[in-house]
Amino acid sequence: MKRHFAASLTAIVLLVLATSLAWAARVGDPAPNFTATDTNGQIHKLSDYAGKFVVLEWHNRGCPYTQKHYDSGNMENLQREWTGRGVIWLTVISSAPGKQGFVTASDENAYVKQVNAAPTAVLLDPTGLLGHLYDAKTTPHMFIINPQGTLIYNGAIDDRPTADRSDINGAKNYVSAALEQALAGKPVTTPTTRPYGCSVKYPD
Amino acid sequence: MIAAQAAPPQSGRPFSVGLLFQLEPGWHVYWQNAGDSGQPPTIQWSLPPGFRVGAIAWPTPTRLGKGSVIDYGYESQVLLIAPINAPASRKLDPADALEIGADVKYLICREICVPARAHATLSLPLSGDTAKRAARWRSLFAQTESQIPKRLPSDWKVVARSNAGNFVLSVRAAVPAAQASFFPLDQNVVENSAPQSFVPAKTGFQLTLKKSDLLAKPIAALRGVLVLGSGRAYEIAAPVI
Repeated sequence: MKRHFAASLTAIVLLVLATSLAWAARVGDPAPNFTATDTNGQIHKLSDYAGKFVVLEWHNRGCPYTQKHYDSGNMENLQREWTGRGVIWLTVISSAPGKQGFVTASDENAYVKQVNAAPTAVLLDPTGLLGHLYDAKTTPHMFIINPQGTLIYNGAIDDRPTADRSDINGAKNYVSAALEQALAGKPVTTPTTRPYGCSVKYPD
Repeated sequence: MIAAQAAPPQSGRPFSVGLLFQLEPGWHVYWQNAGDSGQPPTIQWSLPPGFRVGAIAWPTPTRLGKGSVIDYGYESQVLLIAPINAPASRKLDPADALEIGADVKYLICREICVPARAHATLSLPLSGDTAKRAARWRSLFAQTESQIPKRLPSDWKVVARSNAGNFVLSVRAAVPAAQASFFPLDQNVVENSAPQSFVPAKTGFQLTLKKSDLLAKPIAALRGVLVLGSGRAYEIAAPVI
């Protein structure tokens, strides 16, 4: 009986996600709510974080653009800085099983430890539902949601669309700029940019 | 990957050089607008003093990928042609050779992406047998040039009507078209993955293009490449009304 209940609950969640697919995620609109499981088996809903800023970071450790920001320590530093200032930082992996960047929970936990990453959690999205809900295109692709649940940033991590580590110094980091402005109660001056990186490896 | 040229250079006359990407099956490089992911190649030319290089003439790309992430690029092989102007002031000595170099940064992807760098050089003798050497490349240059979008015929008219969700591109053409597709030159203007709906009209056709969610402010012109069913491609800049 209990098992039955769990199964129908999953079906309802999937249905809700599927019907919101058409919305995508536009800056200024309410950010689509989601339910996703992290690498420690914890369930996260966007609505759990009402009242806080939330960053979504699409991730694929095999992608050279992601490596640019991780091997340099840039992404880990951003995670540490912003979570230290009360921001919820959710790294999302939407690679499908068999595709580049697909990871198991324990594998990902070992990686997070190894690179000393500091997100609030890493969400596993092997079905790509969360990715499609936000229309995440690349790794990295960054989104920011404000405490009222409105999407306030959608785009690239910075203004140097390369895989070159030497381009991090001197780049304008759009995520930090948007968070600084929003935390100070100001409007975000650059709320949308074209994300850059490798394509998200969704299921076929 | 190599540099090549089409015709023997002469003082004060432009000539073409090309950079050839030969790709293994499944791999691709990107167009000047890479689309949703990826990155176009960049080329840093080195030329003898007084020579100047112009912009790359990008051949019409193909749509790559499926689902919600669509890129624009080339598979198999592509020749990127750039014009070079020889200085009028300098006499070219037939005994000389022109040394042309290209530092290329490019991203090559299959399912995975690999950023790469390459250095290509071309030593171009100015003596008589240059023409013979160039003949080897002539057909590749000619074939590539046929794939470079042309200017829109002067008696055609394009305009893009902007509504809440779409740009409706109206093309008044002298010849009927059975099909058309559009490659946007600028990013964040149209949704790359959205279907483009084609409606023939008496004197041309309409193509409806979904606006990008990332389109932040109104644009003055919709710029890109229009490809007709016949494969003919035109560069357009349709005023937005």
